[in-house]
Amino acid sequence: MTVLRLGGASLVVRQRAVAVSLVLLVLLAVALVLAVSLGKPYVAPGDVLRSLSGAGTPYDVVVQRLRLPRAVLAVAVGVLFGVAGALIQSVARNSLASPDIIGITQGAGLAATVALTSGAAAAVIAPSALAGGLLAAAMVLALGARHGLAAKRFVLAGVAVAIALRALTEIVMLTAEPIDGQRAHIWLVGTLAGRGWTETLWLSGTLVVLLPVLFWAGWALRTSALDDDTARGLGTRPVARRVGLAAAGVLLAAMVTAQVGAVDFVALVAPQVARRLVRAERPPLVAAGLTGALLVVLADLVGRLVFAPTQLPAGVVTAAIGGPYLLFLLVRRKQ
Amino acid sequence: MKLTAQDLAAGYHDRAVFEGLDLELPDGAFTVIVGPNACGKSTLLRTLARLLPARQGTVLLDGSDITSLPTREVARRLGVLPQSPLVPEGVTVSDLVGRGRQPHQRWWQQWSPEDTVAVASAMEQAGVASLADRPVDQLSGGQRQRVWIAMALAQRTGTLLLDEPTTFLDLAHQVEVLNLLRGMRDGGSTVVAVLHDLNQAARYADHLVAMRDGTVVAAGPPREVVTVDLVRDVFGLDSVVVPCPVSSAPLVLHI
Repeated sequence: MTVLRLGGASLVVRQRAVAVSLVLLVLLAVALVLAVSLGKPYVAPGDVLRSLSGAGTPYDVVVQRLRLPRAVLAVAVGVLFGVAGALIQSVARNSLASPDIIGITQGAGLAATVALTSGAAAAVIAPSALAGGLLAAAMVLALGARHGLAAKRFVLAGVAVAIALRALTEIVMLTAEPIDGQRAHIWLVGTLAGRGWTETLWLSGTLVVLLPVLFWAGWALRTSALDDDTARGLGTRPVARRVGLAAAGVLLAAMVTAQVGAVDFVALVAPQVARRLVRAERPPLVAAGLTGALLVVLADLVGRLVFAPTQLPAGVVTAAIGGPYLLFLLVRRKQ
Repeated sequence: MKLTAQDLAAGYHDRAVFEGLDLELPDGAFTVIVGPNACGKSTLLRTLARLLPARQGTVLLDGSDITSLPTREVARRLGVLPQSPLVPEGVTVSDLVGRGRQPHQRWWQQWSPEDTVAVASAMEQAGVASLADRPVDQLSGGQRQRVWIAMALAQRTGTLLLDEPTTFLDLAHQVEVLNLLRGMRDGGSTVVAVLHDLNQAARYADHLVAMRDGTVVAAGPPREVVTVDLVRDVFGLDSVVVPCPVSSAPLVLHI
């Protein structure tokens, strides 16, 4: 444990969490350079760096207009999903709880599908998805809150809501015009293709606005692993804390899903990988965000390269990683 | 008086555990609450510690209504150890003891030099300093209980409520915990514990509270309170009460 001081303020950090985060940052930088340089045409890492420094290379369009915005968006998407997952898993005390399991993604998906198939303007889709995600979360929280957001009920309520919403989405898609159904389907898998600075701006804006909340969250999570009586005895209000932490996680998850669709399993996998790397009792926020970023950058890169010229949406690749990971979690739990 | 209950009522769902309960817990004393299973002693402790909201009546801490104080302020003056606290996975002893400092910290002031001192001396006092870097979930029951007490000590509250701190411990560890609590009392703290064993209660308590069916049957120094009649009244057992050959406290032998 190390204490960072700045004037009257102080912050507790763990050495191992700092070390892991630094390593992840380096890996992320490498992955970013790869994401910008690989593909057709191939741009040598040296040329990537030269172009980014404004030296003016023949690759400026490819690097600055096509690949960089997408790679940076991948970072933002990963960070938001990673942090959102870490918050929700900590509150639920359950490694399976994540926005794509407990209905937030499905709520956003249903709202976006309705918007897409009803011929609404493109500008309406992200706000409706955001509203859908938040509404679904409110529903889950209301169902779980009857028991003070006790871990198991909260997750079960979420799974039930997720299933119901997914079924509704299918109904909307099947009864819509085939072309609209197709568009909704593409939105639902979550892709970074054709997206860039606008979405990044929204996501980083959300992150900046929520930064004080995240500092508070990093602190409030210290009592999240204690039982309610012990936490109350320490002068905290555990239910209020859980609602606050869950609300922050939900907002992040709904925001990112609204911008890029359902990039599944990042919020599930990243916090648990980060937790194992840091060896903490709960997912560490910063490391979870960085792990998420690394995961999405790599998933998008793989989706872009493996079946080129066909592009796989990043959400398909993350789901392909997430499925086996889920099995791994289940098998390990039995032992 | 440290803690006073006035016309207190509490319960769970539609079941009232006790009603109209009055009780005074003396300052600087080791108070033990005894009684048969389901007599309401744990519920009383949780209500006194504001973990369970009272349905009626008031709990006074140093003369002021506990619900009128901010919960953080209460946590600086009153510590509480629930019956079997959940041990967070993989947390080290010093980390867990450090969480006792929560009521003295803010999210923008997460650690002060005072915290370091309080944690070190709490671990020393509870005899867990040598375990500082061990994960709590790998310790034995007795060590674990001392770690929880260390956490409460780090909180520096002056008053500590404990719900059956010796349950699930073998005799040697029970004595260890009781001696630790008596040491806290000697240091000026007010200690209130729910215990199962009447003889241990009689031996360690300065002030004994006997409960049955949600009512306080007797309260006072063990030598005055523990009688053949009380044991029959509270536990429904016939017994003889003799002076303990070691401590001269009343010793109950059932027939």
